[in-house]
This record gives sequence, C-alpha cells and structure tokens, in this order.
Amino acid sequence: MATATVVRPKRPRPRIRSLIIAIGLIAFTIFAGRKVGFTLTTVINLGNLPDNPFVDTIWDKGKIWSLFWPIPWDWVFNRQNVIDPLLETFQIAIISSLIGCSLALPISFAMSRLTTPNWPIYILSKVVMNVVRAVPDLFWAKLLVVAIGIGAFAGAWALSIFSLAVMVKLFSETIDGADPRPLEAAQAAGGRHIPAVRTGVLPTVFPAYVAYALYVFELNIRASLVIGLVGAGGIGRVIETQRQVFEFDRVLGILILIFFVVLVIEQISVAIRKRLV
Amino acid sequence: MTSPAPTEIQPGDGGDRPPKPSGTVPRRIALLVLFIVAVVWSISGLDISMERLRSAPGDAWKIFRFMFPPDFSGEIERGVIGKVFESVYIAWIGTMIAATISLPLAFLAATNVAPMWIRVPMRQFFNAIRAVPELIVAVVLLAVTGLGPWAGALAIGLHSVGTLGKLSTETIESADTGPIEAVEACGGRWISAMRWGVLPQVLPIIISYWLFRFEINIRASAVLGMIGAGGVGSELVQQLNFRNFPAVGAVLIFTVVVVLIIDTVSSAVRRRIIQGGSHKAEDSSRDAEALNDLTGIQIR
Repeated sequence: MATATVVRPKRPRPRIRSLIIAIGLIAFTIFAGRKVGFTLTTVINLGNLPDNPFVDTIWDKGKIWSLFWPIPWDWVFNRQNVIDPLLETFQIAIISSLIGCSLALPISFAMSRLTTPNWPIYILSKVVMNVVRAVPDLFWAKLLVVAIGIGAFAGAWALSIFSLAVMVKLFSETIDGADPRPLEAAQAAGGRHIPAVRTGVLPTVFPAYVAYALYVFELNIRASLVIGLVGAGGIGRVIETQRQVFEFDRVLGILILIFFVVLVIEQISVAIRKRLV
Repeated sequence: MTSPAPTEIQPGDGGDRPPKPSGTVPRRIALLVLFIVAVVWSISGLDISMERLRSAPGDAWKIFRFMFPPDFSGEIERGVIGKVFESVYIAWIGTMIAATISLPLAFLAATNVAPMWIRVPMRQFFNAIRAVPELIVAVVLLAVTGLGPWAGALAIGLHSVGTLGKLSTETIESADTGPIEAVEACGGRWISAMRWGVLPQVLPIIISYWLFRFEINIRASAVLGMIGAGGVGSELVQQLNFRNFPAVGAVLIFTVVVVLIIDTVSSAVRRRIIQGGSHKAEDSSRDAEALNDLTGIQIR
C-alpha cells in the first residue's frame, strides 16, 4: 500500500524589487491623493460635501437637486439657444476633420520610415508632430482664441491642428506596417519617389486612411462640444455662459442632449467603419 | 548573353482584367455630393471670410513669436512646476479611482463569466459613461463640489470608468476558460474562480490599460485646469489672459516635456508588463489592439 505523496511546489517568494515597487506606488498614490485633497475621509464624507465657501454661499447643501431639476426643455429645444450652437459644433468638426485629414496624407508619408523622401524631413516631421500632439486640444483652442479672436473660426483652426497631429500618428504607423514589395517593384521599374509611393503604397493603406478619418471626425465631434468652454465656439460656449450665471438646470438639459447626440454619432461611425474595414 | 524573350504587352491590352464592379460609380458620386454639401454647409456656417483667412496665420505666428524666448525663471518662481505636478497627481488619482471601480464591474460585464441579467446593463453603463466627455462631467461636478483639483480627479475617474471597463471586459472575455473549469471542478465558488482562474491571466494586460489611460488622463487633467479644476491649465489661462506670452511659452514647454516623458516611461513599462506576463505579444500589436478596443478600428 503505497501512499502517493504529493509534493506541493514551493510558493515563490515575493521578490524584493516588486515589493519596493508596490510600496513606492502605494506611497505615491497616498501622496498624490493628499495633494489633490482626495483622502480616505473625503471618500467617506462624500455624502455631505466638503465645507466650501463657494458651495455654502450659492445654495443650501440639501437642495442641490433643485438646482438641476426640473430641466427647462422648451429652453433647450429653442433654436437660438441650443440647436444653432450645436449645428455650429458639427460645422467646426466637419471643417477641421477635412483640413486635418487632407494635410495628414502627405505628412504621414514623409513621417513613415518606408516612404520618407529623406531623413531630415522624416526627423523634422516626427519631432514637430510629437510636440504638437503633446499639447492638449483645449490648449490649442485657447491659444488660438487669444491669437485670432473668440469664435468658431479659432476653434476650427485648433481642431484642424490637433486632428492633423492625431491622424499623422495613426496613419504613419500604418504605412510603416505596409507591405514594402509593391514599392520596391515600382522603384525597380524606374519610378520616381512620389509616383512609386502613389502606386506602390497608397492603394494598400487607403482603406485604413478612410477609417482613421472617420475616427478623427468622431474625436472632433467630441472635442468641438467642449472647445466652447474656452471661447472657441459651438455648444460649449452656451454651457459656459449658463454655468457662469448658475443656470445648472439648463446646463443639465444641454448635457443630456449632447449625450444622445454623441451616442448616435458613435453608432453611425462604428457602423460605417465596420463596412469599410 | 541570352535574354529571355519579353512577353508582348500592348498598351491598353487589359485582356484578362476583371470588369469593374457595377454599382460603385453612382454610389461614389452620391457620397461625393454628400461630402461637398456637408463641407459647403460648414464653411457657410462658420462665417469664414477671405480677410480673416488671410490674416489668421499671421496673427497666430505673431503670438507664437512673442512666446520666445520663454520666461522660464519667472514661471518657476510662480510655481509652475508644482502646477504641472498637480496635474500629474490629478491624473493619477483619477486613474486609480477608475481602476478600482472598473475592475470589479468588468467581471460583471464579461460574456464568459457573468450572467445575462447583469452583463447587459453593465455594458450599457460603460457605453453611457464613455459618451460624456470628462470636461462635461467636470462642469457638473464643479457645480456640486466647488472649484478644485478634487473635482477634477473625480471627473477624470468617472469618465475613465467607461473606457477602462470596456477594455477590461474584453480582456476578461479573451481569457482562457480552462482555469475557471478547474476551480469549479474543485468545488470553488464563482468568486474563487474569478480570483484564481481569471485574474492572474488578465491582470498584466489590464494594468497596461490602466497605464495607457493614465497617459491620456495627463492631457485631460491639464485641460481640466482651464475650467478651474486645478493644475497647469489654470496657469496657462491666467498668463494668456494677462497677455504674458513669454510665460505662456514656458508653461507650454513644461507641459510638453512632462507629457512626453510620462508617455515614454509609461509605454516602456507597459511593454515590460505585457512581455513579462503570460501573453507574449509584440508591443505594436498590443497598441493596435488597444486602439481597436477603443475605437473599433482594425489595423491589418
């Protein structure tokens, strides 16, 4: 009668390094939480809001919901109040997607290792585009509002720049991954750079280009909803003005409208992209 | 020297070319017309005049030139470094909030481990959250909690629950079901199956998504400062309102440097986490997958 002895494998010891990393991350989180004012006590006291002179003076703590409710739907669906700015939002998104994506086509080819005409252009475009992308879209909006005046025009500019940077990043990486053989064939047949790229690479990556363009359009719709908060036109301007006069019920009404608009546009965009790719 | 006999190719000889698919031409024309109408409508609505169009690049360039040389020392005296770090803290706390909320919820939304009645509403919940931009969340939250970095972190956290929840759910759905069956065969309950069967498989990938989201949140928190939620955005708006352009240049440069450093470090860490984990995949294909999950775009 032999009893099979099962030898359990030894439990691996926690490595010192991972322990140090874990402690470091926890310490950083606690430190960051303190800096932000987000500690365990604030989480526990989430129900009764922080003692804030702004909050106390504006309204009674218990009556917060009365600020948001009821929503004045007839105000929200008024053409002048909300619908026109919302249309302006779409116009900004359409124009800036068009400009950003058309400019992105040549720059992406310059920015890909496969199709770049020469190294200085490759490095220059890569560095410039990375810096442009590192500046958030609303920073661009605010800068351009200051530079060329309040309104949708500045917003369209800002979003054009930002969508150019996003598009170039996505598309140049796709070009990097494209099949190099048609390009080599075109070059071997004596094609010059631009015709070789045009016939050897562009057809294989063009579907991706269209899909990205739709994605950038979707991004632009979302961004154009909020650039108005810094004065760059669209529905955000309405939100900002209503917020400043504490008409939060109207703000909430606009938000609900935006919510459904974004949801519908996302569904449409996803459906189109599925058919394309 | 024998050269192979060249095959005769006549110009215009497209003998065995497949015929063009019918029906694409009218559809293309229709799409083109739609496109042109949309563009013309947009241009007409934005009152873009030739005059403004011509003067705008010059104006923008003028502002850009005013920013150089950037006023670094003045900005450091005003504590811009602290402000930049405040943005980083806000992004970190927001990401942590989203991570703690989204991880358990993702288990409730995954097709392979959650029952139908909870899965469907949970998915809709993620979709709904994703549809509201964090700036909009912040506008509402600022009304309730007052101005401050606290509200910014909460807004970022709430918004990120949507994307992180969706990404984590899809990771859980792609997990191997063998370990779950093993735990169940030993008599383990659902929660043990999740803890010992699923979590070890998916955690590296989910953590890499958290880092990915942290990178995005850095930008978001910088922006949130512009509407009064603390961080570097408020400094930028202030200096722009004072028309103190050298200071603006310095703020922008600090922001760009910090964003680029964090992006680089974070993507290096993500690569390590993924390759050290059970799923050995190329980083580029992971990025492609993440992009696909976020947007539905397939990269071949």
